Amino acid sequence: MVQMRQSTSAARGIRVVTPGLSWALIILVALYIAVPMICALAFSIYVPTTGFTFEPYLESVRDPGFFGALSLTLLITVLTVVGLLAIMVPTMVYLHLKAPRWRPVMEIVCTIPLVVPSIALAAGLVTVLRSMASFGRGSVPAQISQLLQNPDLPIVLVGSYIVLTLPFVFRSLDAGLRTIDLRTLVESAHSLGASGATVLRRVILPNIKGPVIFCTFFCIALCLGEFTMAVTLGYRTLPVWLTQIAGSNFRASISMSLLINALTWALLIAMTVLAGRAAPARALALKGHES
Amino acid sequence: MTLTVTRSDAPSGRDPVDRAVDLVHSLHARPERRVNASLIGLIPFLVFIALFLGVPVFGIVLSAFRVADVNDPGNYVPSLANFVASFRGASWDAMQNSLQISVIAALTGGIIGLALAQAILTTRSTKLTAVVTVLTSVLANSGGVPLAFSFIAAVGNAGIMTGLLSLTDLGFTLYSSGGLILMYQYFLIPTMVMVVLPTLAGLRVEWKEAAASVGATSWHFWKKVGLPIATPAILGGFVLLFGASFATHASAAALIGGGGVPLITLRIDSGLAGGNLAGQENVAMALGVNMIIVALLVLLVYMPLQKRSLKWFK
Repeated sequence: MVQMRQSTSAARGIRVVTPGLSWALIILVALYIAVPMICALAFSIYVPTTGFTFEPYLESVRDPGFFGALSLTLLITVLTVVGLLAIMVPTMVYLHLKAPRWRPVMEIVCTIPLVVPSIALAAGLVTVLRSMASFGRGSVPAQISQLLQNPDLPIVLVGSYIVLTLPFVFRSLDAGLRTIDLRTLVESAHSLGASGATVLRRVILPNIKGPVIFCTFFCIALCLGEFTMAVTLGYRTLPVWLTQIAGSNFRASISMSLLINALTWALLIAMTVLAGRAAPARALALKGHES
Repeated sequence: MTLTVTRSDAPSGRDPVDRAVDLVHSLHARPERRVNASLIGLIPFLVFIALFLGVPVFGIVLSAFRVADVNDPGNYVPSLANFVASFRGASWDAMQNSLQISVIAALTGGIIGLALAQAILTTRSTKLTAVVTVLTSVLANSGGVPLAFSFIAAVGNAGIMTGLLSLTDLGFTLYSSGGLILMYQYFLIPTMVMVVLPTLAGLRVEWKEAAASVGATSWHFWKKVGLPIATPAILGGFVLLFGASFATHASAAALIGGGGVPLITLRIDSGLAGGNLAGQENVAMALGVNMIIVALLVLLVYMPLQKRSLKWFK
C-alpha cells in the first residue's frame, strides 16, 4: 500500500527545476558512483605492460595467505549467522508471545550498538581481554581470554558481529512477527500436539521467512566486509588480508576486493528487494557499521 | 507495571470513584509475578548481550576513568587525566579534524543528496525511483576496504583518473582531509537520498495544486507547506550523515593507515597498538568514550526528527 502510494506520487513528483537540469545532476552522481568501480575493474584486468589479463585474480588466489583468510572469514560468517538466528529468533518469538511488556526495553538494548562505534567496541574488548590476560598464565580469567580469542575459532569476533547486526535484526524480526497472528498459530499448533521446537521450526519460521532471510543476508554481508573489529582484535580475515597484501601487490588485492564487493552488493540488493516486497524498508533507514 | 503499583499505593481520602478505580487496577496488577517470571525466556539473550556489549562498554568506561599509579605502576587509580589528555595535543587535533571533516562531508553529501532526491522525483520516472531505492540502501551500507581500494584505483597517486585529468597538477591528493570527504560521499549521498526521498515523494502534487488554487505561488507553497513537512527529514539526514562520517574507520584506515590525516578513529588505533606505554591505551579509551557520547547525541537528535517526519505519512 505504502509502496504503491509512493510510486504513484513519485511518478508525478513536484517539480522545482526543469527535468533537463535534474537529469544532468543524476548523470553526474551516477558517474561519481560508477567511475571508481570501473577504474578498479580496469586496474584488475588491464596491466599496461601486458594488456588484458586475469593474472591479478590468479595471483590473489595464489597468495599464501588467501586460503587461511578465506576459511577464517567463512567460518566466522557461518557461526555468526547460526548464532544470530539461534539467539534472536527464539528470543523475539518469546518476547512477542510471553513478554510483550519488555519490548520497549529490548528495542533500546538492541539499538545501543548504533551508538557504540565499532572501533570503540573493539577498544573495549581489547582492554577487557588484556586485563583478563594480565592475571597471569593459567589463571581462570587468562584462560577465558585465551578461549575467546582462539586463533582458529574467534568466538569474540562472532559475538561482536552478532551485536553489530542487532539494530537491524531486531527491527526486521519485530516487524515480521507483528504481521502474523503469532498467538493463534502457536495455540493451535500446541492443541494439535506439536512440541515447542516443532512449533518454532514448522509453524513460526515459515511465517517469518522474509525477515529471517533478510537478517541472514545482512549478516553475511557484514561478516564478509567487516574490517575494524577484525584488525583491532588481530584476526586475518579477508578484508584484513587485502590491506596486508595491497602494499606488495595492489592489482591482486583490488581484484579480490572487487569480487568480495560484488558478492556483498548482490546480497544487499537481494535483501533490499526481498524486504521491499515484504514491508517498506523505511524503518530500517539507519546506517550500518560498514563504512 | 509501576503505574499500577503507585496507583494502588496511592493515599486514601480521595474521591471514592478514584479509590474504586485504584482497587480495580490493583486487582488487574495481579499477574505481576508472571511479568517477572516472563523474563526467564529472555535470559539467554540478556547474558549474551551482557557479555559482548555490556562488558566491553563497561571495560572502555572503566579504563577511561583510571590511570596507572605513579608510585606503583602495576596499580590503577581513578582519574580524569585520560579525558584531560584527550582534549590536548595530538588527540585533540584528531578530534577537531574528525569533527571538521564530518561537518563538511555531511553538508556536502546532504546538499547533493537532497538535490538528487528532488531531481529523481522531477523526472517522474517510476523505474528510476525503484532502481534508486534499491541502490541507495546498498550503497549506504557499503564502504570499508573495497571502497578505499576503488578510490585509490581511480584518484589515488597512480590512479586512472589522476592520470587522465592530471589531478596532481591541480594540487589534488586523495590522502588528505579533502580526499576523505570526497570518498565519504560514496555512502553519504545515498544515505541522504534514502532518508529524504520518501518524504519528498510524499509531498503531493494535489497539495501544491490546492495551494495554487487559493493563489499561492510556488515560493509560498514551499515556505508554508513543503519545507515545514520536509524539514525534520532533511535535518535528520544531515545529523545522520555527520554521525556516519564521524564514526568511519575502515575505509579511512585502509586509505590513510597510520599517518597523514589525524582522525579520532585512527588515533584510537595507534593508542591501542602502542600498548600501555605512557598510558596511551587509556587515553584511547577516553577517546572511545568521547566517540560514544557524540554518537549518542546524534541518535538522540535523529530519532525524534525521524518520528516527526513519519507523522505526516501514516
